[in-house]
Amino acid sequence: MKELTSPMIIQAQGLRKTFTTRSRKGAQTVEAVRGVDLGVAKGEIFGVLGPNGAGKTTTIRMLATLIAPDAGTATIAGHDLRKEPAQVRRNLGYVSQAGGVEDTTSARAQVMMAARIFAMADPARATAEVLDRFELTELADRPGRTLSGGQKRRVAIAIGLVHNPPLLFLDEPTTGLDPQNRANLWDRIRQLREAGTSVLLSTHYLDEADALCDRLMIVDHGTVVAEGTPSALKREVSGDVITLRVSEPERAAETLKPLARETRVDDDLLRVYVDDGEHTLPALLRALEERGLGLTSIALDRSTLDDVFLAKTGRSLRDAGAAV
Amino acid sequence: MIRHTALFTGYELKKSFSNPIWPLFGLMQPVLYLLMFAPLLKSLTPGGTTVDALRMFTPASMMMIAVFGSLFSGFGLIAELRNGSLERYAVSPAWRPAIVLGRVAKDMVVLVVQAVLVLIGAAAMGVRIGAVELVLVLLLMAATGLFASGLSQGLALTVRDENGMSQTLNLFLLPIMLLAGLFVPISFAPDWMKFLAPVNPLYHAVEAGRALFDGRLGDPSIPIAFGVFVVLAVLTTMWSMRSLGKIAG
Ligand SMILES: Nc1ncnc2c1ncn2[C@@H]1O[C@H](COP(=O)(O)OP(=O)(O)OP(=O)(O)O)[C@@H](O)[C@H]1O
Ligand SMILES: [Mg+2]
Repeated sequence: MKELTSPMIIQAQGLRKTFTTRSRKGAQTVEAVRGVDLGVAKGEIFGVLGPNGAGKTTTIRMLATLIAPDAGTATIAGHDLRKEPAQVRRNLGYVSQAGGVEDTTSARAQVMMAARIFAMADPARATAEVLDRFELTELADRPGRTLSGGQKRRVAIAIGLVHNPPLLFLDEPTTGLDPQNRANLWDRIRQLREAGTSVLLSTHYLDEADALCDRLMIVDHGTVVAEGTPSALKREVSGDVITLRVSEPERAAETLKPLARETRVDDDLLRVYVDDGEHTLPALLRALEERGLGLTSIALDRSTLDDVFLAKTGRSLRDAGAAV
Repeated sequence: MIRHTALFTGYELKKSFSNPIWPLFGLMQPVLYLLMFAPLLKSLTPGGTTVDALRMFTPASMMMIAVFGSLFSGFGLIAELRNGSLERYAVSPAWRPAIVLGRVAKDMVVLVVQAVLVLIGAAAMGVRIGAVELVLVLLLMAATGLFASGLSQGLALTVRDENGMSQTLNLFLLPIMLLAGLFVPISFAPDWMKFLAPVNPLYHAVEAGRALFDGRLGDPSIPIAFGVFVVLAVLTTMWSMRSLGKIAG
C-alpha cells in the first residue's frame, strides 16, 4: 500500500447524481445528490445526518465505487475515485444499509470468503479474530437467516472489517436496533477510532450523530446544509432553547424578540433561542406577565442538532422524513 | 481473475451442498425421469424395446436437465441483490465477472454430476455408448447448461424481481420444451411443428444428442448443435457479466 501523505482519507468536491426512473406515468428524474463537498480526516468518525431520501446512501454508494457520479471528483485513501476504483476498493470496508448477510451460509463462511477475496495471508485466523472481537464466535456456524437483527448487524460489520481497512463506510448502522444494542454498537465504533480506522457513517438519529461523530454534515434534499463538530454546530444556532406553550404565540414572539437571538413559532409552540437560558428565564417570564400572556408550559433545553436542522431548513428533522 | 473465479465457484458449491437435501433432490431428478418415463415411452417407440426407448429419451432428458436445472439458478442472485451481499462483493477487490462466472461454473459442476448419474442409470438399463460419443454428449450438455445458466443470471440482474423472473421463464419454457421433441422426436410431429422446431435451439441439442446415442458420429445435427450452443453460451455469459454493472440500480 502506498504511503499516504494527505491528512484526509476522503476528499470529495461537487458530487452529483441524478436518477431517471421510468414508470407508467413516464420518465421521472430525481436529483438525489446535488453538489456535495466532503472531507474526512484520517482516524475520524464522520457523520452524514439527514432525513429519509436526503441522499445519504447515494453519496456513500458513489464514494464506494458502486455508482458513478454524474459530476464531481473524489480522492479516497490517496486514490482517484474515477481513475483508480480498484485501488479505492482495496482500502474500503463497506456495510450497506441492507447489511449484506446471506441467508443460507454461516457467518464464519461469509467472513472467511471476504478475507479470501482480500487475499489475507491467513484468512482463517483473521476470521476467528474478527468474530471474537464482535462476540460472534458462538453464533458463527449458524446460517445467516437464523440470526436476530442485532446479531446480523454485527456479522455485517465483521465482514466489512475482516481485512482491517483504513476506511469503513457504515450506512445507517443502528437502524432497527434496541437501545442497548445501539449503545453497544456505538462503543464498538468508538473502538475503531482508537484503532485508527476512519469511519464514514450515515444516520437519521440526532443523538447518534451527536454522541458518536467527531464531525458531521447535515444533508437535506441532496445538498449540505451545515457542517462542523456537533458542539460547534449547536453553538452556531444558539446556546439554549426555551420552548413555551402560550395562548398567543405570535404576540408572545413579538414581545420576546429583544431578549432572544431568534424566535420561531410552530403551531401553538414558541421556541426562543437564547445565549444563556438560566439567566434569561426570569426576564422572559416577567415580560410575558406584563403583557398578560397566558403560559401553559415552559421548558429549557440545551439546543440539539434538531435545532440546527430546523434553523437551516425550516423543518424539524423529526417531521422531515414523512414529507419526502 | 482465475483465482477469484475459483474462489466464487468453491463458495457457491459449498453453499449448495451445505444443506445436502436440495442438491440430492436435484441429483435424483434425472434418474427419476429415466425410471418413470422410459416405460411410458416404450409403447411409443418404433422398435418397441426399453433400450430403444432409453436411447431416444436419455439424451433428451440430459438436455432437459441442463436447461431446467440452470435456468432457475438466477433466483439465488435476486436474493443476494436484495440482501445486499452482491453489492458488498461489487465493492470488494473481487474481479467482478467472477461473481457471475462462479455461479455458472457451479451449475456446470452440478450438471456433470447429474449427467454421470443419468449415464450410469442408462447403462444399467442396457444402453451402450462409445467413448467419443460419451465425451461429445457431455460437452454438448455443458454448452446447453452454460447457455441456460448465463441466460438465467443475466435475466435475474435485469428483471431483479422473483415474480417477474418466474413469469418470464414460464413464458419461454413451454414452447421451448414442446418444440424440442423431448418425449417424441419431432419427425412424428405435425408439419407446423416441424417447420418451427429449428428456430428452437434446444431442438438441435436434442437431435444431436440422439444422433450421438445412436452412434451416428457423421450426422450434420452434431456440428449444428455445437455451433449454435457455443455461440449462444458465449453470448448469454457475456450478457450476464455485463449486467453486473447494474448492481446498484
Ligand atoms: N436506484 C435509484 N433509482 C432511482 N431513484 C433513486 C435510486 N436510489 C435512490 N434514489 C432516489 O434518490 C433519493 C435519495 O436516496 P438515498 O437512498 O440516497 O436517500 P437516503 O438519504 O439514504 O435515505 P434513507 O434514510 O431513507 O436511506 C431518493 O429520493 C430516492 O428515491
Ligand atoms: Mg439510505
